[in-house]
Amino acid sequence: MLWVIAKQLKSHPALIPLFVFIGGGAAMSIAYLSRLALRNPDVSWDRKNNPEPWNNMKPDQQYKLFTVNMDYSKLKKEGPDF
Amino acid sequence: MEDIQAKLQNYRTAPFDARFPNSNQTRNCWSNYLDFYRCQKALDAKGVDTAPCDWYKRVFTSICPISWVQKWNDQREEGNFPGKI
Repeated sequence: MLWVIAKQLKSHPALIPLFVFIGGGAAMSIAYLSRLALRNPDVSWDRKNNPEPWNNMKPDQQYKLFTVNMDYSKLKKEGPDF
Repeated sequence: MEDIQAKLQNYRTAPFDARFPNSNQTRNCWSNYLDFYRCQKALDAKGVDTAPCDWYKRVFTSICPISWVQKWNDQREEGNFPGKI
């Protein structure tokens, strides 16, 4: 099937941008979904050994990609240890 | 120890928590509620004064809807509470 597509692309080269943009969009969606699945501290894959993954974060660890007004380097742990 | 007393004196509202950076703060409320009762249980078991745990109580009182806190308190008394304390 890939060979059929390659042949069609050679005779209709204008289709190449279509593949580029659709492929790029699909790659970005998959990348974001995997980031959410693997890195999101709300997601727990192993409930027995890691039941509350948000507690494994440091107090100044940044999860968001872009933070506009928040200076993460100044944060410390607030509550007392027990 | 005096540090936590100072923090409790100067408390205005729940501070930013890097574990919960988005606008949905449900988990923040849940986590502090659990932490308060776990802190009380742990410090009671050690025989130490549980006053530092009040930090968590102030935070969840600021963040959580009152109906949730009342529901969880009732569940704890009946033994139905779903969280691990």
